[in-house]
Amino acid sequence: MSLAMNAVEIRNVTKTFGKVTAVDGLSLDVPQGSVYGFIGPNGSGKTTTLRMMMNIYYPDSGSIQVFGEQLHGACTDRIGYMPEERGLYKRMKVRDVLRFYGELKNGKDVRKEVDRWLERLDLTDWASRKVETLSKGMAQKVQFIATVVARPELVILDEPFTGLDPVNTDALREAVLDLQAAGATVIFSTHDMNVAEKMCDFIFMIFKGGKVLDGTLAAIQDQYGSDTIRIRAEDGSAALQGLAGVEKISDFGQVQELRVAPDRDPQEILSAIMARTRVRSFELAKPSLHDIFVRIAGPEAREVNDA
Amino acid sequence: MRKVLRIAKREYLATVRTKGFILGLVLAPVLFAGSALAMLLFRNQVDTRDKVIAVIDRSGLVAEAVIAAAESRNSAVVYDTLTGEKIRAPYVIELVPPEDVDPDRQRLELSNRVRRGELHAFVEIGAGALHPREEEAAARIGYYSKSSAVDDLRSWIERPINGQLRRLRLAEAGVDPAAAEDMFDWVGAAPMGLVSVDPETGAIVEAKRSTELEAILAPLVMPMLMFLMIMLGAVPLLNAVMEEKSQRIAEVVLGSVKPFEFMSGKVLGGVGVSLTAATVYVVGGVFAVRHMGWADYIPYQVLPWFFAYTLLAIIMLGATYAAFGSVCNDPSEAQSLMLPGMLPVMIPMFVLVPVLREPTSAFATGLSFVPFFTPMLMLIRQTVQDSIPVWQPWLGIAGMILFAAFCVWGGGRVFRVAILTQGTPPKFGNIVRWALRG
Repeated sequence: MSLAMNAVEIRNVTKTFGKVTAVDGLSLDVPQGSVYGFIGPNGSGKTTTLRMMMNIYYPDSGSIQVFGEQLHGACTDRIGYMPEERGLYKRMKVRDVLRFYGELKNGKDVRKEVDRWLERLDLTDWASRKVETLSKGMAQKVQFIATVVARPELVILDEPFTGLDPVNTDALREAVLDLQAAGATVIFSTHDMNVAEKMCDFIFMIFKGGKVLDGTLAAIQDQYGSDTIRIRAEDGSAALQGLAGVEKISDFGQVQELRVAPDRDPQEILSAIMARTRVRSFELAKPSLHDIFVRIAGPEAREVNDA
Repeated sequence: MRKVLRIAKREYLATVRTKGFILGLVLAPVLFAGSALAMLLFRNQVDTRDKVIAVIDRSGLVAEAVIAAAESRNSAVVYDTLTGEKIRAPYVIELVPPEDVDPDRQRLELSNRVRRGELHAFVEIGAGALHPREEEAAARIGYYSKSSAVDDLRSWIERPINGQLRRLRLAEAGVDPAAAEDMFDWVGAAPMGLVSVDPETGAIVEAKRSTELEAILAPLVMPMLMFLMIMLGAVPLLNAVMEEKSQRIAEVVLGSVKPFEFMSGKVLGGVGVSLTAATVYVVGGVFAVRHMGWADYIPYQVLPWFFAYTLLAIIMLGATYAAFGSVCNDPSEAQSLMLPGMLPVMIPMFVLVPVLREPTSAFATGLSFVPFFTPMLMLIRQTVQDSIPVWQPWLGIAGMILFAAFCVWGGGRVFRVAILTQGTPPKFGNIVRWALRG
């Protein structure tokens, strides 16, 4: 297997549910050994795409290849999948449920691996307790272990960090990066743009079933250029209203982000602001992933909601 | 297959390790034995207070005979001859002179006495009872009590009345009643099994006397046991699959196995649960029945059929229930599908008695070839000794195998579509469409 091989190749895939087109003509390559982030508004087709990779849903048209093979069910043994909503047998003990999922995958004895992961994610004391006694965060960690315990080559995580406290988020993030270091390919969907920016080698955004972004963070940001002024002004956003050449103001409290209109000079805008208030810091930056996301999905999503 | 077996193992252990299953396994025979014991214990717990029966004898011919019969009975059966304990109620006959002017008023007064508990019943013997063919209305004998249709006393009192009337008729015909006592003797037909040849000695084996226990109990116990097995092994799959769907467990499992493997594993687990329980009950039952000295009543020849039917019934119904479970999103939807789901199990229970009484009728034969009904109805027909042609159970089994294959195939198709379809309420149209079109 060459290093350049793609773990996943999606070609022109469409999936409809009744009259709703969930995924529309999607093509995507996920390089082996990468961490690939899926972002997109709710209902945009992320989960449907992930489920098709798992062979849970079959595409209406197009093809999906995982590790160079057309999906026919069998190769799912090389994939670990953690769905968005946790699915654990509540009345089983933690260790038993993990063994069940592990053995279901590859049929090998996974006892040592289960114990190793339980220790790593600080769950050893809960190994003999029933799943129903776990907190939500703990159950999420158990679900993560169930996904990776059979040492899959491709790990698909549907919103793995949702609902976790910062300590557990860090623990899971480190675990994901260790999987990558060990050679696994990781695909995860998230609504946390900071996580996507920091962790992912590649980011893919799906909107209304179609691909709208795909590439490294830098490449995506390059598409938009350095059109963002990040500023700390003494009078906050009140002093920034009505400035010529500013398309949008995003107020984060201590920091404000201004989107500069094309062909306008950011220095002119800075001068105009300094005439109104004292400026503590000023930075000309590329737009954040959050901003790019909102630019793509924001106004249209509102229109849909208003309709 | 490894994955199917792993799912089956989890399903099996998840069920047989529960306290409910173990308790049920123990409690069902305990309850069964307990109710039988209670029937035995309470059989002698009868009301031994006097039962006073008023007799209005408009014929003037039989009252004395009834009194004599009551006295004779009282001296024979009221007291236990060994212990002297009073074990039955004495019958006390109270003669009431007929009121000819207003007989309705008399009947009302006597009825009120029955209502007040002073009388158990009253009997009115028509004036023309001796010759009912001459005037039927005048010959009428009325028995009035609170529950006259099921009152044992009604059938008792018919005997001395009719005995006396027959004696009087003989006397009228010039026959000396004393010389004609055996004219009233009744010789019943003993229920016998069929004569057969001993395969070892070649000798003709005398027919065994057939009893109600053999005729009714064994053919009833086997389908009851089958019903219990279906309730233990197949019916729980509906809720189990619904829970796996609603708790999103199915989505995780389907990351490792195909929907058909998932469903097959669950059904196989159900088969394991049923066969475990069936083995415990059959082995325990055979042991208990032999211990009680009723070994002759055990239909050994039917036991292999019982296990074969159980196996196929659980596959057939289990796949159906798993498919039903996969279309449900919550317990209330599962509950609403449970009733139609239970029909294939309940219908054989409704027709149990007619099939038992006429196992070779067209009705019983036809129904027993309906695959859903075959396990229980064919089993009843086979348990009623020597009653059905040998080819019929084999044809029944063949039909079940075909239909079980169809259920697994169709159920698998429904399961595959429905298990991840959230929010669509279960409709029969959808189930049929998914089963046929996938």
